[in-house]
Amino acid sequence: MTLNGIGKHKRTFGEWLRSRDGQKVLVITAFLIIPLMLLLVFTYIPFAETIKFSFYNMKYVGARKFVGLKNYAKVFSRDDCFGALKLSLYYMGGSVVQLTLALYLATILSFKVKGGNFFKGFMFFPFLINGIAIGFIFKFFYTRGFVFDTVLGWCGFNLEDLPYWLKDRSINNISLVGTSVWRYFGQNMVLFIGAIMSVSGELYEAAMLDGANRFQQFRYIILPSIKSIFVLNVILSISGSLSAFEPPYVITDGANGTGTYFVVMHEIAHTQQKVGLASAMAVVLLSIIFVVTILQKLFFKYVFKDTD
Amino acid sequence: MKLKKVISICLAAVMTFSLAACGDGSAASGKNGSVPTYTQLDLSKYSDTKATIKFIHHKTDRAEDGTMDKMVAEFNKEFPGIKVEMEAITDYAEDSLLRLSTGDWGDVMFIPAVDKSDLSGFFMPFDSLENLSKELNFVDAWEFEGQCYGIPYMANAQGVLYNKKVFKDAGIDKLPTTPTEFLDDLKLIKEKTDAIPLYTNYAAGWTMGAWDAYIGIVTNGDNTYMNQKFVHTADPFKDPGDDTGIYNLYRILFDAVANDLIEDDYTTTDWEGCKGMLNRGEIGTMVLGSWAYAQMQEAGDTPENVGYMPFPMTVGGKQYVSAGGDYNYCINAKASDENKLASLIFVKWMVEKSDWCYNEGGYTVVKGGKNPDMYAAFNGCEVTSDQPSKAGEETYLNDMNSESELSFNAGGNSKVQRIVEAAATGSETLDDIYADWTAKWNAAQEDLEISVDY
Repeated sequence: MTLNGIGKHKRTFGEWLRSRDGQKVLVITAFLIIPLMLLLVFTYIPFAETIKFSFYNMKYVGARKFVGLKNYAKVFSRDDCFGALKLSLYYMGGSVVQLTLALYLATILSFKVKGGNFFKGFMFFPFLINGIAIGFIFKFFYTRGFVFDTVLGWCGFNLEDLPYWLKDRSINNISLVGTSVWRYFGQNMVLFIGAIMSVSGELYEAAMLDGANRFQQFRYIILPSIKSIFVLNVILSISGSLSAFEPPYVITDGANGTGTYFVVMHEIAHTQQKVGLASAMAVVLLSIIFVVTILQKLFFKYVFKDTD
Repeated sequence: MKLKKVISICLAAVMTFSLAACGDGSAASGKNGSVPTYTQLDLSKYSDTKATIKFIHHKTDRAEDGTMDKMVAEFNKEFPGIKVEMEAITDYAEDSLLRLSTGDWGDVMFIPAVDKSDLSGFFMPFDSLENLSKELNFVDAWEFEGQCYGIPYMANAQGVLYNKKVFKDAGIDKLPTTPTEFLDDLKLIKEKTDAIPLYTNYAAGWTMGAWDAYIGIVTNGDNTYMNQKFVHTADPFKDPGDDTGIYNLYRILFDAVANDLIEDDYTTTDWEGCKGMLNRGEIGTMVLGSWAYAQMQEAGDTPENVGYMPFPMTVGGKQYVSAGGDYNYCINAKASDENKLASLIFVKWMVEKSDWCYNEGGYTVVKGGKNPDMYAAFNGCEVTSDQPSKAGEETYLNDMNSESELSFNAGGNSKVQRIVEAAATGSETLDDIYADWTAKWNAAQEDLEISVDY
């Protein structure tokens, strides 16, 4: 009965389990096992499968053929795969606008403003709507002679002078980016407000006594204090723009030069049934996002090096 | 202790029996067990069958308007013991494939895009092609090694929807029979009426892929082309020079767009809205299969103005019409024998007694069945259906579609959308597009080692 003994006075396994140490281990394991299981089953195992699929020439059903790195070679040699990443530049541009707007409004709204809470709610609201619904809303919003054109008509524009928001290739990606800016800037703003609120009011008072103006307060008090939230928002927006999917998929179905990387991947996986190639695209995109995130981390470390 | 013993003996007994049952089931599924074939099945003898079956389908509109429930209620009058659970799936083409790969999807579904060689693993054969084709039309689409795995719920003829009043107002008294005549008529509509001559439905996507359905029978009168010769053709997109062929099929679309004969802003077309527009005479023509006819009629107050005509292409002095099954019923090979039998009864009843096909304006699936009046304009045309692929080549078309990414008749919407974009923006000529398609087609032939014979 002493075979399982642990420690000097030869405790049995049962005794150890009932001791304080054993209970600690037991409780920790019991609490962790469910989240870890979920993470493993729904994230890591499917991801490992995706990596495996990327080495095969396969459809969803039917036989699979191992092709080694051929799928990866195709991802890099096809113009539609990497060409689609160029569209991400539009979305990155959009995220700059989105973050600037969010930061500007957050700074204003974190001081005492009349109807501040109303505006906060008003601007956060789009984030609560389902992305597919937003797609349908904007499809009608941009339709010739519908909402957007009518509103612009009230402002004195002639319908003949207005472009076709989704048909004109020089502008349709900007229209789509507009929808995602509209949807996400409220959320960024609320995150910024939360961070700004945590700055102690005494700092502003002290700064004001020293003669700092509003902009200097923003530059030297607010910005350094919300650094980590700012970096997080930038990283989320940039990786979000690399994987933009809902606006082009719902509004234009990726047609007319609006197919982002994800939309192309979806088409290849589901219409053309090249599951292996699509998996390789997914893995390549993941590595790109990794690299971009690390670069951003390094960049911000450099930018904020004097504020620590 | 006694109680424990009793329980364990009971458990052991139950487990043995259930094991035995499993054994039976798997042995039987190989050759349909006790389930009769489609032609053997006599519906009148099975009215006391009891089972609960699940039917997954894509007809979300018919589920919403109660048509499906009404049909099942009618079915239950004859077969009160068979309970049919139904689920309508919006994104059927994709979702059904994913469900299928899990194996546990229900009993009856519509066959999604699978390879023919995989059919026997997924589905129960209905009957041999020889027996079945004596009673039903269009059952060869899902035939593999002599067995049929699918029966269409309705059949479509491929023609063109048009508004009779718009044609009359534009002074068109004779339906067009060639692409050139058709384009001239579209110009007349633009000059003389306010209607949109040709509505592309570009934004919906699948409505663009619908143009593929005319390849083969309509474009060259050959019903072996689509499934047999197409994959072996070196240059399927070259201009035959006599207003026929795939070249002139898509030329209609290209020229219509280039000459402004389509809607103003094609990127925001609205599928639900266009039905009423065609009905009211705001749209002249739409290129869609006959299944759409009933929906166009229901969408407004002037159903009598909705017309259907053969596709304007004449091959050797004759207009050909391609007709073929829509989605096909199939039965899960992994279902229990009771469920297979009940499913077979359900499918046979739906095909032969539900009148679903007729009500949808479909071409009759049952041989000698009645056809709706809308097919009147098809008199004098040769109505035929695509022949199945040759033995051993069943997967070629799917493979070519996937490898070349052109996906003819398989969701290749973006390639047709590209024609519209090119014509509207002038970014490419039609010949550029065809050259690119040919290059992709030939590369796929080489990759898959498919011989080039034509």
